[in-house]
Amino acid sequence: MIISVAGLTKRFPVRRTWGELLRAPRGRSTQTVVRDVSFEVAEGEIFGLLGQNGAGKTTIFKMLSTLILADDGEATIAGFDVRTRAGAVRRVLAPVIANERSLYWRLPARENLRLFTALQGLRGAAARAEEERVLGVTGLGDTGAKMVGTFSSGMRQRLLIARALIGRPRVLLLDEPTRSLDPISARDFRRFLRETVVRAEGCTVLLATHDADEVWELCDRVGVLEQGRLLTVDATHVLRHQAGNDRFRVWVHAADAAALRARLAAAGPTLEPRGGAAEPGWEQFDCEVGGGADGAARVLALLASGPERVARFERTAPTLADLIERVVAPGAAAGGREASHA
Amino acid sequence: MRSAHGILALMRVSFLSAASYRVALVLSFVALLVSIVPIYFVAGALQPVVEESIRIEGGRYFDFIVVGTSAIYLISAAAGALPAALGGSLATGTFEALFVTRTPLPALLLGLVGYALSQAVLRALLLLGAGALIGVAVAWAQLPVVILIALLLVGAYFAFGLVAAALVLAFRTSGPLLAVVNSGSILLGGAYYSTTVIPAWLQDLSALVPLTYGLRAARMLLLGGAGIGDVLPDVATLSLFTVTLLAIGMLAFGTALRHARRSGSLSQY
Repeated sequence: MIISVAGLTKRFPVRRTWGELLRAPRGRSTQTVVRDVSFEVAEGEIFGLLGQNGAGKTTIFKMLSTLILADDGEATIAGFDVRTRAGAVRRVLAPVIANERSLYWRLPARENLRLFTALQGLRGAAARAEEERVLGVTGLGDTGAKMVGTFSSGMRQRLLIARALIGRPRVLLLDEPTRSLDPISARDFRRFLRETVVRAEGCTVLLATHDADEVWELCDRVGVLEQGRLLTVDATHVLRHQAGNDRFRVWVHAADAAALRARLAAAGPTLEPRGGAAEPGWEQFDCEVGGGADGAARVLALLASGPERVARFERTAPTLADLIERVVAPGAAAGGREASHA
Repeated sequence: MRSAHGILALMRVSFLSAASYRVALVLSFVALLVSIVPIYFVAGALQPVVEESIRIEGGRYFDFIVVGTSAIYLISAAAGALPAALGGSLATGTFEALFVTRTPLPALLLGLVGYALSQAVLRALLLLGAGALIGVAVAWAQLPVVILIALLLVGAYFAFGLVAAALVLAFRTSGPLLAVVNSGSILLGGAYYSTTVIPAWLQDLSALVPLTYGLRAARMLLLGGAGIGDVLPDVATLSLFTVTLLAIGMLAFGTALRHARRSGSLSQY
């Protein structure tokens, strides 16, 4: 396993109010943001850490990239302990710092990369070749001379990845890489990640996201984080099946919606209103359809045989909320703030 | 070798970023050269008043001020460059990106301040050169020793910068530390007047300021016709200050770095 995490725990101090300070001057308040997290990632795998904002994804990334020290537990990258062999870890792992401001906006893309080829120990022709390689890999080959300030957000994201790819790291950490991208750029970016970074470059990717669609599309395996706990880890297709392989969405003409709901309810599927109109004059609702493909075929036949005007019947991907509600036992997680007195 | 290469690369990026603001860069040097003119006339007017007090350091007030101002450029950059660069790069996330590269942290820190220090050296040399053109009598033969003194001064004030950077790491601000160090040094270190003219109790305090020793030694060598033997006591005291302060600065920075890595404040979005 190229990444091995065992019992990783991180507590951050919580800033106390003046009142708390006066009541207990020597007291200490901490918040556990990562609690006893364990998982492993195989070489060449895309592993997703899926969780809401504040679930602990970024803190785990920062511990793996040696920016933050863990309080308990251990983590190794390619066999190197992140605490005791930080220098060795930095030779095999590259976090993609998602903040676009971390680039030098008033310099050309190539100058931004030149700095990092030097910092990664490359010189002369080898450095120039590496700059051209990562520009080419990220599709920025013809924009190397352009100022970063003139780039679109998507191009800057690519440049951040290009910067991280310098020196051919074996592990790439990506923290919500499509956060600031429009849907089309995000789709292109995912394709680039899968086909170029993983298949062509051979990187192992650890991806943190709150977007379940991104996980379904990209990841081989996924771990679900909530309030600092890793609730489950499994193959993506297994989790997706468990979380909502039986969920379908129906688009029906607004005037026929009530009648169709009644007919479907009588036939068995569990209905779940979606709220809001899909388009003017149309409504949409979700239904759980048992019986796998046979069940779906029966519902489709039912829809086709009735008088209601149905525009669509499609399987929907489960959301993060579906995963947490349906796969993970409710109430399994309990994070929170603890008070201790030093 | 990798560290030196990394330091130069960081200095290059800082220079290119600064040079992208072309007008500001050019104007800063024009302003430097223009500022010497009023100094020349004010110094001439005050010459009879201060001549006696600065006799050991050459006796010419204009020369005295040019050297003092050059030293101020150096110590201000030495103390202020690191906290400024660190604060800026922490806020943008650049420091995270630098920190996770293979270049050791000391090289990164030197690279972050390298351009600002080089610019301060250039400004100091330009000021001395311009001064020489309009009459400052500099003993250029003493320049190698003066460069050593300047390095010691820069080291001592870089140590204050390390402490300020430690405060930035821990609290995101260095508070009034740099203002106290800079204005205290200007007030007590003899930048614009001899330390012999200030009240006796303040003279005791000026003995605690590294600039006092460095500036006095530099002026005696460059302007006063002194030899190395004459300035050895000052150089030895300054060296002691530099070594002690650097040890304190490194200890403070190391402690703050460990605190930041534990508390998660090393990186910030």
